[in-house]
Amino acid sequence: MKASTRWLITAAFAVCGALSARAAEVKIIANQSVTTDSISASELKSVFLLQRRALQDGPIVVPVVQKSGATQESFLSEYMDRNAEEIRTYYYGLVFTGKGLMPKEFPSDAEVVAYVARTRGAIGYVSSAASSKGVKILAVLRHEQDRRLMKRIEPEYPETLKKLQIGGTVRLKLTISPKGDVEAVIVLGGNPILGEAAAKAAQQWVYGAAAQRSTVEVSVPFESAP
Amino acid sequence: MQWRIVRLALLCLWAGRLGQAQEFKIYDRTVQVHGFASQGFVYTSGNNWLTMNSNAGSGAMTDMGLNLTSQFSDKLRVGGQVYDRNLGQLGQWHPSLDWALADYRFKNWLGVRGGKVKTTLGLYNDSQDLSFARVFALLPQGIYPTDLRDATIAHTGGGDLYGNIALQHEAGEIAYTAYAGRRSDSIYSGYPYLLQDWQVFFRSFQGWQYGGDLRWTTPVNGLTIGASRMNQSITGKGTFVCLFDPGAGLVPIERTTKTSWTNMFYGEYMVRRLRIDAEYRRDFFDIPYVPGVDLQTNIHAWYIAGSYRIGKRVQVGSYYSHYVTQNTGGAALAAIIGSTDPSLPWNHVYDKVISGHVDLNRFSYVKVEGHFMNGYGWATYPNGFYLQQNPQGFQTNTNALVVKTGFHF
Repeated sequence: MKASTRWLITAAFAVCGALSARAAEVKIIANQSVTTDSISASELKSVFLLQRRALQDGPIVVPVVQKSGATQESFLSEYMDRNAEEIRTYYYGLVFTGKGLMPKEFPSDAEVVAYVARTRGAIGYVSSAASSKGVKILAVLRHEQDRRLMKRIEPEYPETLKKLQIGGTVRLKLTISPKGDVEAVIVLGGNPILGEAAAKAAQQWVYGAAAQRSTVEVSVPFESAP
Repeated sequence: MQWRIVRLALLCLWAGRLGQAQEFKIYDRTVQVHGFASQGFVYTSGNNWLTMNSNAGSGAMTDMGLNLTSQFSDKLRVGGQVYDRNLGQLGQWHPSLDWALADYRFKNWLGVRGGKVKTTLGLYNDSQDLSFARVFALLPQGIYPTDLRDATIAHTGGGDLYGNIALQHEAGEIAYTAYAGRRSDSIYSGYPYLLQDWQVFFRSFQGWQYGGDLRWTTPVNGLTIGASRMNQSITGKGTFVCLFDPGAGLVPIERTTKTSWTNMFYGEYMVRRLRIDAEYRRDFFDIPYVPGVDLQTNIHAWYIAGSYRIGKRVQVGSYYSHYVTQNTGGAALAAIIGSTDPSLPWNHVYDKVISGHVDLNRFSYVKVEGHFMNGYGWATYPNGFYLQQNPQGFQTNTNALVVKTGFHF
C-alpha cells in the first residue's frame, strides 16, 4: 500500500470517527480481583468519597486518583460533582478528623493503570485512550434500572484498523429482555467499523434478569496502542 | 512571642511550597504523615474579642496539628493526631491529643471507631480547626464558638458506631453516627475561663457525652440535610466565691449539670462553584449554682452562608450568624443576670461577615475577613466576649478584621 493511500485511509477513518463519536473521556478500571464488571454511578461516587469500602457484590475496593490534569477534571465533573480543589479539601478533611486516609495518587494514566493492575481491590480512572493492559474496565450504570452485566464477550478488533493503529471508543445502546438477553443493538457513536464489531460482540452479552425490558448505554474501547 | 508569630506566618506562607504528604513503612505497613498550621491576626474596633487584646491588633491566633495514620488491613485503620493552639488566653501552647483511634469497618453500613474520636455534630464540628477547608477564617461563632472548641470537639474513652446505607429507588444515601464517650475540657478553654469572671475556678470539668447524627444525601444533586443531637452530664470541681456569701471567700465547689443537651439541624447545597449551607442550633443547660438555685441557659443560634469559587484559587463568601442566649436563675440570680430580653446586646450577637480566600498553591492559603457584629452575648455562657479583656464594660457594636494564613500537607 502506498504511503499516500495509507494516509488517506487513516485520515478518512479518523474524520469518520471524530464526526460520529462523542466518546467518554474517562473509563473506570479495576484490578482483576474485583469480581464485578459494572458499578453504579452512586456506588462509584461513594467509593471515591471514601464512604464505602466494598461494592454491593462484596469485594473490597481501594480508590486510586490522579494528581491533576484533564482526565481528573473529567472524572470529577462527570461522577463526583466536585472540582479538583474541592475533592482534595474533602480528602484532607477526612484525614485531619481521623475519618479516612488520603487515597493513593499518581500523575499519569500509565502509573494509575500499573498500580491498579498490581494492587488487589484497586479501582481508578484513566482517559479513554489509555491502555488498560492488565486491568478490567468497569461499565458505569447510570440509573437503578440499569442492568448488571453477567457475561461479556470481547469484540474482535478488525485487522486492518489494528494494523493502522486506529482505535477509539464506540458507544452502543442495547435493548435487554427481561430474561437478560440482548435483543437489539444500536451504534450511537464511534468509528462505524469498530461499531459493527462491538455490536456483534454485544449481541452475545448476558445481563441479570429483571421484571421488564430495558435499555442501557455502554462504551466499548478499542485500544490502538501496540 | 512576636518573633514566634512572625516566623510561623512566614512558615505558613512558604512551607507549603515544600509540602508533600510523607509516608514511611513500619513492618511493611505504610504510615501516612499529615500536618497543618495556621496563623491569624485580628484587629477589632469596639470590644476586645476571643480573649485577645484585639483592639490593639493581636496575632495570638495560632494552631497546628500533626497526625500519623495507617491502614492495617482492608478493614482496620489506626491513627492519632496531636493538636496545639494559642488563642488569646486560651490554649496557651499546651498540646493535646486531638484524636487517637482504631477504626474497623465491618460493612458499608457498619463501622466502629474507638479511642478518642472527633464528634460528629452538625456540618463542621469535627473539622472546625481546618481553615484551609473553607473560605471563612472563622466559622459562624453562634454555632461553632472557637473559644468553646473543647466542649464538643471530641469524646474519649468511648467511640462511634457509623455507616452508610444506600436507599432504594434512587432515593439517595443515609449516613449515621451514634457515639458515647467522655468530654474533657482543658482548663485552658473558654468555659472555665469565663467562669473565673464569676469567681468560679474549676480544676476539672468533665463528664459523659452521647448522641448521634443522621444525614441524608438526597437525590437532588448536591443537597444534603441532617440533624445531630448531643446529651451531656458534666461535673466541674474546684473552688468558688459564692455570690450570696462573698465573705466566706474561696470554698470548694462540685457541680453536675442536671440537664444539658444540644440539637442541630442543617442543610448544605453545592452546585458547580456555589456552596450554600445553613444550620440551626439549640442548646439547653441546667446547672445548680447553690442548692435550690439553678442557672438555666437557653441558646438559639442559626446562620446562612454562601461561598463562590471565582477562579481556581480564589473564593469569596459571606454569612449571617444569629446568636441569642437567655439565662434564667430564678429570683435569686435575676438581679445578677439582668433582663432576658433577646433584643438587648448582652443577650445576642448578630454577625455579618464577608470573606475572601486565596490558595497560594496546593498547600497554603491566605484569607481576609470582615465581621460586623451587633451585641456581645455576654452572660453566663461565653460567645467570644469576656469581661476579663473588656474590664471597662462592653460596647454594643464590634467590627473585626481577620487575616489568616496557613498550610497543610
